[in-house]
Amino acid sequence: MIAALAMAIAVGADTPLPDAGEEARAQGLMREIRCVVCENEPVSQSTADIAVDMRRTIRSQVEQGASDGEVRTYFSDRYGQFVLFRPPARGLGILLWIFPFALLAAAGGVIAMRAVRGRRAGLTPLPDDRLDGDGG
Amino acid sequence: MIAELGHLFAFLALASAMSQAVLGLTTGGETVRRLAVASGMLTLLAFAALIVVFVRLDFSVALVASHSHSLKPILYRVAGAWGNHEGSMLLWCVIMAGYGAVGALTMRADALRDKALGVQGLLTTASLAYLLFASSPFLRLDPAPLDGGGLNPLLQDPALALHPPFLYLGYVGFSFVFSIAAAGLILGRIDRDWARRTRPWALAAWSALTIGISLGAIWAYYELGWGGWWFWDPVENASFMPWLVGAALVHSLIVTQKRGGMAAWTAFLAVLAFCLSILGAFLVRSGVLTSVHAFAVDPERGLLLLIGLAAAGGGAFSLYAWRAPKLMAGPEFDPVSREGALILNNLFLSVAAALVLLGTVLPLFGQAMGVTLSIGEPYFQLTLAPMMAVLLLFLPFAQASTWRKTEIKPLAKRLVLAAGLAFAAGLLAFFLFRQSLWLMFGIVVGAWVVAGVITDFVRRVGAGGVGRMGKLSGSVWGMTIAHVGMGLFVIGAATETAARQDQTFVLLPGEQAEMDGRTFRFDGVREIEGPNYYATEGRITVTRDGKSEVMTPQKRYYPVAGTPTTEVAIRKTPGGDVYVALGDPVREAPGAWRIRISHHPLIDWVFGGAGLIALGGFMALAARRRKEADVKTEAPASSGPTGADRPVGAVA
Repeated sequence: MIAALAMAIAVGADTPLPDAGEEARAQGLMREIRCVVCENEPVSQSTADIAVDMRRTIRSQVEQGASDGEVRTYFSDRYGQFVLFRPPARGLGILLWIFPFALLAAAGGVIAMRAVRGRRAGLTPLPDDRLDGDGG
Repeated sequence: MIAELGHLFAFLALASAMSQAVLGLTTGGETVRRLAVASGMLTLLAFAALIVVFVRLDFSVALVASHSHSLKPILYRVAGAWGNHEGSMLLWCVIMAGYGAVGALTMRADALRDKALGVQGLLTTASLAYLLFASSPFLRLDPAPLDGGGLNPLLQDPALALHPPFLYLGYVGFSFVFSIAAAGLILGRIDRDWARRTRPWALAAWSALTIGISLGAIWAYYELGWGGWWFWDPVENASFMPWLVGAALVHSLIVTQKRGGMAAWTAFLAVLAFCLSILGAFLVRSGVLTSVHAFAVDPERGLLLLIGLAAAGGGAFSLYAWRAPKLMAGPEFDPVSREGALILNNLFLSVAAALVLLGTVLPLFGQAMGVTLSIGEPYFQLTLAPMMAVLLLFLPFAQASTWRKTEIKPLAKRLVLAAGLAFAAGLLAFFLFRQSLWLMFGIVVGAWVVAGVITDFVRRVGAGGVGRMGKLSGSVWGMTIAHVGMGLFVIGAATETAARQDQTFVLLPGEQAEMDGRTFRFDGVREIEGPNYYATEGRITVTRDGKSEVMTPQKRYYPVAGTPTTEVAIRKTPGGDVYVALGDPVREAPGAWRIRISHHPLIDWVFGGAGLIALGGFMALAARRRKEADVKTEAPASSGPTGADRPVGAVA
């Protein structure tokens, strides 16, 4: 970060694209693509020279009609998967996209099964069944 | 002299904590209580000594020499005491021993208290030993330098001066929750009484953690200069994991306390929250992660922290494995009930914590395997956000549910209005910001939570009007406020993320830029001098509807540390912040500066919402303490009133 600030004498301005839709798409991509010399910053935030260049590249590719996927591939071909803050569902990355939902489904499934079993058994009526929730 | 005194106090505290651990886990009794108070006082004295050394700028102390400077304002001289690894470890020890001391002074005298103080003594011993033998803040330098190396200028900020104390009150607060859980497991008593006595500590730690995290986010928002407040940075995630588990814990404790249910699961969370806190400390301090927030890093100390984590976690989870199967289930309930709703809450929050853990540590494993992975905002937006949204859709139902069995129909009828309002808010958002479905969905969820929670509150107030509001328990108030805060947070975060505008302009003096109906005229820069920095201050005249005001963002340079910082100018408006940051001069065009102008809609809802969540937590805590006092005066029973009569236990 500090290094980035110190060397932040960048060239060229960030001129937005004339088409608002294209500019929005470009900005979305800028938030996804990592500045390659910074600590944990997407190019949208960084003031580093290279980030300015990368922003310009993204804008010009979007303007030339490249799809989001093509822009991502362009950068990951040059800098590796490292550059994508949204890791692709390949290799180790598969784990990221499957594990949380698998865990939710598995744990939810176990709980649901217990609940169904419990429900089938039914509740025994209580003599005084007026327990009301009061949150705490 | 004072440094040596501090060192001595720390050693005495170590001795006291060791005795506290040994006696607490064996004979117990009044001595343990006194020792716990002594450990707290002694660490506090050691800490006071360190602060004095920092305030007096005693540069013969190595830590002061490397982290302070004579030109530093007094607030940051004090805060400098914990703005480094050694000092923050001492703060960690103070808070840990302090929780033990407060526990000793407030908990009912019985075996649970003694064992809890014993375990806390063990944790304090380990922390103090780590402090004294691996990272002592009291070491001297000979010869002493004439002046110090200064504090990282990024840290010279009021929010960040308070950030570590609150963060540690949270992180380390979970140590006492851990200790009571371990004590309960040792005694085989994870029951309603145990939950009743654990809950205030969990609420205190979790609420403090909420404030600590928020302060860090606020700081990042205005200090790092690009207006982001949460980066999904590994160090932020390290604090977010215990927060999520803590959130699950304060909810599951309700079930255990009120119904005796979910006992094993609640104990599991109580142990886990602190383990994640140590993991967080390890990730931040070991240097395995690099981040905008980690200011004190050392790989060798990381190993010691890892050993500590293994010992604490290994010990507690072994205890857990031994005891958990013997804990019986609580009273039966229908899936559609408050119990069911809270289980759902815990399911989502725990999976969320697992998700964040995976997203934080997978890049490390990747590195070891030679694969570089970056996991950032887009990933969490696509996975965590929808998961939390689903959870929040259930919230209004959960809050209005009843224990054991809930009739869903009358409940759903009451919520029709809230659903209508949420839908209307979503439509409005859709017409205001056409392009973003994501934003619309966020607003629907947030509005639904706020409207649903208020609907439930109105029902509880009933016909009694304002008079009845005063009679509602603090926990109802706390729950309502925290949940409304959550809803406002979601609305703010969704709007801020999706509709923020942000653009960098290159302007010559006299030139102007436009954004969001405002004109920004750049009037040039001037040099100014602060107490320990030089600054270049830009002058920007902002005009809207004929009304003008001046904003003055700065770039500061701290010669001692040799680093620049940005001081942004922020103008609050009802719809959000106008945010101006001065970039760098442009070489090719003399006199031109790069100026970043942003609009952050509803940003105050983000921080305000988080503040309400913390406030709600503290209100529930205050209510608990009041109730406890009432119970004591009514019936001075020393045995657990609710623990023995009901079989207790495992659900999840």
